Amino acid sequence: MDEANRQERMSALRQKSHIPQQSMFFEKIVPLLLIVMGIIMAGLVLFAAGVLLGIVRF
Amino acid sequence: MSVNQLLPFFSTAIMLVFTVYVLQRYFVRRAPYFLFWGIGLAMFGVGSFAEAYLSLTWNKWVFFAWYLFGAALNAGWIGHGTLYLLTRKKWVHGVTALLILGSLYAGYLMLQAMPKLDEAVFTPKKLISEQYGTKVLEPGETPPAGAQTQTTTYRGEQVTAVRGILPLGTSVRLTTPFFNIYGLLTLVGGAIWSAYLFWRKRVLPNRVIGNVLIAAGALSIGFASTLTRLGYGQLLYIGELIAAVLMFAGFLTAARPQPTEEPQPVKVALAVK
Repeated sequence: MDEANRQERMSALRQKSHIPQQSMFFEKIVPLLLIVMGIIMAGLVLFAAGVLLGIVRF
Repeated sequence: MSVNQLLPFFSTAIMLVFTVYVLQRYFVRRAPYFLFWGIGLAMFGVGSFAEAYLSLTWNKWVFFAWYLFGAALNAGWIGHGTLYLLTRKKWVHGVTALLILGSLYAGYLMLQAMPKLDEAVFTPKKLISEQYGTKVLEPGETPPAGAQTQTTTYRGEQVTAVRGILPLGTSVRLTTPFFNIYGLLTLVGGAIWSAYLFWRKRVLPNRVIGNVLIAAGALSIGFASTLTRLGYGQLLYIGELIAAVLMFAGFLTAARPQPTEEPQPVKVALAVK
């Protein structure tokens, strides 16, 4: 009985420290967010580079 | 006082708690990334406090702190902490030296700009982010309502400009893109990279979410700063508040201890490679 309980508890803990299977949030939204944020970051870096090079006037 | 002018007070309070939280970790663990994060966050907090102060009255040294720490340096220092977290190579120490020297140089340039500040332009009725810079008007461009203009010679041309506290051609303004590019690449890029690594390994969902929040927060302030450069300074304060909230929430989420199978000492970090 103790062993069964222990295994059940371990299984629950393992699930908590792993990304859940078939999660819409982790399968679709997170990768999309990472890509979009990467693109925005690149845009902001290009803008700042434009300021440095004198292309963007301020 | 408008709602917009109240926002820096909230940002300052959040950043104060955030800074103390991070520096406490540094004093316990002595990890350099906590130190650089703590210093960068303190600079962010100083910038927010300066905004709050300048919404009440003028002080040129508060303006000095606002521009140097709030506009120029903080992103670079926070991002440098992330670089220390992601790589343990010796060349990072060289980058540290460059960062410190660059920051000192920016401070020197800002000191040189101090006697030239056009203090007469200042009004507490406008946000400091809307009145700090002198902006050249393009031919045919009309100045904003109520703006004070001047005609002057700039780079050999006769130009009309909207007067700002920092005069045209102030060298310190050229240093900010360096720090902001470095800060964006290391802080946002580092958070995106960390989130991706955990996501790919299918582990520690709290660190995936935490790093997404940190990246989103840093982008929020980066976006608001860019708009400020373009003359939309009224969005800076809300961008800062969003950044403070998201980054603190991200840090707390990522640092939350996860249950493990084997008993072991609690290990708390923003992210690991």
